[in-house]
Amino acid sequence: MLVLENVDAHYGKSHVLHGVSIEVRSGEVVGLLGRNGVGKTTTLKTIMGMARRTGGRITFEGRDLHGVPPHGLAGLGIAWVPEERRIFRLLTVLENLRTGLDRAGMTPERREALLEKVYTYFPILKERRNQAGGTLSGGEQQMLAIARAMMLEPKIILLDEPTEGLMPRMVAQIQEIVHALHRDGVAILLVEQNVPLTLDAAGRVYIMEKGAVRHHASSAELRADQRVIHEYLGV
Amino acid sequence: MDQILVQTLHGLVNGMVLAMVASGLTLIFGIMDIVNFAHGDLLMLGAFVGASVLGVTGNYWLALLGAALVIAALGAVLQVTTLRPLIGRDPLTTILATFGISLVIQKYALWQWGPSVRRISEPVPGDFTLFHLQYPWYRIATAVLAGLILGGLWLFLKYGKYGIWIRATTQDRLMAQAMGIPVPLVYTAVFAIGSAMAAASGVLFGPFAGVTQTMGFDFTLRAFIVVVVGGMGNLGGSILASIFVSLLESYAAIVVSPAQAVIVSFVVLVLTMLFRPTGLFVPTPK
Ligand SMILES: Nc1ncnc2c1ncn2[C@@H]1O[C@H](COP(=O)(O)OP(=O)(O)OP(=O)(O)O)[C@@H](O)[C@H]1O
Ligand SMILES: [Mg+2]
Repeated sequence: MLVLENVDAHYGKSHVLHGVSIEVRSGEVVGLLGRNGVGKTTTLKTIMGMARRTGGRITFEGRDLHGVPPHGLAGLGIAWVPEERRIFRLLTVLENLRTGLDRAGMTPERREALLEKVYTYFPILKERRNQAGGTLSGGEQQMLAIARAMMLEPKIILLDEPTEGLMPRMVAQIQEIVHALHRDGVAILLVEQNVPLTLDAAGRVYIMEKGAVRHHASSAELRADQRVIHEYLGV
Repeated sequence: MDQILVQTLHGLVNGMVLAMVASGLTLIFGIMDIVNFAHGDLLMLGAFVGASVLGVTGNYWLALLGAALVIAALGAVLQVTTLRPLIGRDPLTTILATFGISLVIQKYALWQWGPSVRRISEPVPGDFTLFHLQYPWYRIATAVLAGLILGGLWLFLKYGKYGIWIRATTQDRLMAQAMGIPVPLVYTAVFAIGSAMAAASGVLFGPFAGVTQTMGFDFTLRAFIVVVVGGMGNLGGSILASIFVSLLESYAAIVVSPAQAVIVSFVVLVLTMLFRPTGLFVPTPK
């Protein structure tokens, strides 16, 4: 469904991605692991058209994303949950959700149903729906960022370190959501530092180093043989 | 005592008109980081268009609406043709571009309507007596109307689908894009709305002092001052600052001549820049 072929990316003059090839099939959860600064976030940003792709090809459902404007990706079914969460801080929780909800073809009933669905996943967001996004705690902001992406009813979610800086109870909740999305048939490209969580949630895992994919295996293989993880991630 | 009351009224009325002018400028700055130096000239052009529509139809309200629509369309065209191509370039280029637009509009107005003052007659006739002073009803009506228009703008920004798009884009352009909000279109729409607000203020202000092709610069300057004092890009702050500065000027006019009273706004500007550069009417940034 989402295919990156030999993708290169630059920030200004610095060459950050060197021929990254990744594939996510429909409904699949795929992990992307790697140490700090290897280019995981840049890979997601390049898909979103926010980092400059200087080589290779990115296609979604067979369609080349080159030439699709950045605001056109949501309509194709690609949602992004950035590492920094990027909540609209002065917008209320509900208004944050509305940025994804107020799109063409939505009926009041579907809006209602979709809102209710995320509120059952994240009851806290319903409680705080009229509170400014910027006043939420870090964990709540992460939930809002995921809920906001779900408003687009995406086919794939690019999920960038959703458990970063969260306490264990929150981490468990995020893990639960990832499973729930998977059950709903949403594909996820999951960038993480949390190896156990990634191996649990993802079917396959890519491991990056210095801007390139160095290893690719199923989670079962990686669980069985932890040496690769040690080698590339040092854990 | 009487004089203070009269000047308070006067300051409030001027403040409301200024708030309308400034709201367009601050909205555009907030979302695009562009200081539109042609803002006052769009106001002037709107006033001329209004005067022309009034001349043909004799209907003031039609003139107000017509001017707003025509200038909104012009604003959209200007944004698409001159400012959109400059997005991502050095901010200096957009400043120069809006200066250029300002000059072109002024020269066009001079060529089209000549240098003399055009009058817009007051749609609401009559005066009332405030103590021993005659005060025109029209000024009161203007303040009320400006308040209604600003209230409408606020409701639109607060509750409307497109209002939320505008606020989301103002806060985080990239994230707004990722949520599927067509940011280039939002930019154009905001520029059109700002232009329409300028044009409407021009028609509202027209009956006060007449319409001339040089009136724009003064409005740009005054609006710019209150936008800075109110906190760049902050709509509520700009509105409060407009009223605050206008009231101060009004009170100053009791002691000095009105021409000298204008200095007050510059003093407020300088003090703001010195002691609270993020703006007077915004919460202290963390
Ligand atoms: N906006 C930018 N401008 C210039 N260089 C950047 C920019 N963003 C990231 N980089 C550089 O690109 C490289 C890859 O960064 P990236 O954020 O993709 O890493 P990452 O794998 O997501 O790391 P982390 O696990 O810390 O989030 C790093 O060397 C980083 O310094
Ligand atoms: Mg990262």
